[in-house]
Amino acid sequence: MNAIEIEGLSKRFGAVRAVEAVRLAVEPGEIFGLMGHNGAGKTTLVRMLLGLTPPSEGHARVLGHDIATEVLAVRRLCGYLPADYALPPDMTARQFLAYVAAMFSLPRAEAEARAETWLRRFGLLAAADRRLRGFSTGMAQKVGVAQALINEPRVLLLDEPTSGLDPLGRHELLLLLRELARERGVTIVFSSHILSDVETLCRRVGAMHHGRLIACGEIAALKQQHGVASMDDLYLALVRQEAA
Amino acid sequence: MIRFLWLDYRAALRERKVWFAVAIFAYAVLSLPVLVARPPAHVQAAMEAWFGARDPFTLFMFMWTDLAMNKLIATLAVVLAGGVLLRERDTGVLPLLAAKPISLPRYFAVRTLSTCGVMATLYLGTQLIGALYFSAMVAGFRPGPFLAAASLHVWAAVFATALAATLLVVVGRRGPGLLAGLLALFSLVGMAFIGFYNPAWATISLLNPISLGVQSLAHLDALGPGVIVPPALALILLTTATITAGAWSVRKLEA
Repeated sequence: MNAIEIEGLSKRFGAVRAVEAVRLAVEPGEIFGLMGHNGAGKTTLVRMLLGLTPPSEGHARVLGHDIATEVLAVRRLCGYLPADYALPPDMTARQFLAYVAAMFSLPRAEAEARAETWLRRFGLLAAADRRLRGFSTGMAQKVGVAQALINEPRVLLLDEPTSGLDPLGRHELLLLLRELARERGVTIVFSSHILSDVETLCRRVGAMHHGRLIACGEIAALKQQHGVASMDDLYLALVRQEAA
Repeated sequence: MIRFLWLDYRAALRERKVWFAVAIFAYAVLSLPVLVARPPAHVQAAMEAWFGARDPFTLFMFMWTDLAMNKLIATLAVVLAGGVLLRERDTGVLPLLAAKPISLPRYFAVRTLSTCGVMATLYLGTQLIGALYFSAMVAGFRPGPFLAAASLHVWAAVFATALAATLLVVVGRRGPGLLAGLLALFSLVGMAFIGFYNPAWATISLLNPISLGVQSLAHLDALGPGVIVPPALALILLTTATITAGAWSVRKLEA
């Protein structure tokens, strides 16, 4: 069984077609890259998988759960980091992670242990009891990733997770994601327009353009098919082919 | 869910606006003995007409309940509930939290309950400190009836908070929603004593939740469970219905 199965998923906002008839399957333990320009439909697609935006048409299942009828079951199994978000300014990092853990009904001791683990892993222990309003962009992004991991998700949906991170933080996050997929079998949807990150992390990618999935496959095969060497060239080739 | 509610309550208590509420409540406690020392003549005359007595404690209770607490619960309910859901949506916190395995209606209910809890904490804390302070500062002050009356009026404060949160999400936009909350609550507060002004309207005034919260003022010499429990239960039911209506209205909200 695929971890994620998407069948003809569409979303319209009035006359605007944000996502159009996307068909896609992601295997368990796979890190799948979703690339596309701003407004290509990546965020809407991910939000539909979590039931945050109801689809206009189509179906999808996450770990066998229908996104329309079993949305809370889907959310229980998923971790999510949106592209645009803010952290509650009056909470500390530790309090916020405990708060998110409580939303998953984790027992207190377990929630505290997991919060400690992720705060240590992201080098945030020294700042763990400071209010989030004083956090830098990079620190806040690390807390954002930590909250997505607090429930030990089997599927991680990450929307621009490396934005705001310095090169070292970015490198560490990519290493962590690889480790999660390899050692824990976590399925990861990595949505980004930083194509070098996508290439570093993913074997298979999907390219979205104006709401449509214009290509999907292994990066190496897609590069060979379009006669290009870099991810930038691949993306440009795909977009130009679509325009032509 | 209980732990989440507890953590949310603690988080709500740590918000900056709580300090504003504390300051306003403190101002009420400190200023009332000054006001009571020389009560306005029209207030004194009204007390004699409504309650048929020149009891200074009755006058004090009216001034405390209507001139101070009623106005404060109307204002602070809107201040405290102003962050429930819509501010989180507008500031970008909601997209993060709405992806968790709690439906938006349930999340709204938790946020509103914890905000009601903050209001109740601040209110009851004020009454306890007030009881100590007024015992020393106000001649003829009776802490027992004062606290008994507060044990009913606190439910009016809780209801006001739930109503402000619900109106906010029903209106769907923060500015107009906050304004709607202020208008609704000040209308209810303005009519809270209508049954005392005009005994013919005493029964119909019980439809006003804030009137239910001030019923103890008519029975200051004989306050007991029979006076306090029925209106308190009615207020709890109204609060529950209000939160349910708010939760229903957010079910289609997109984070």
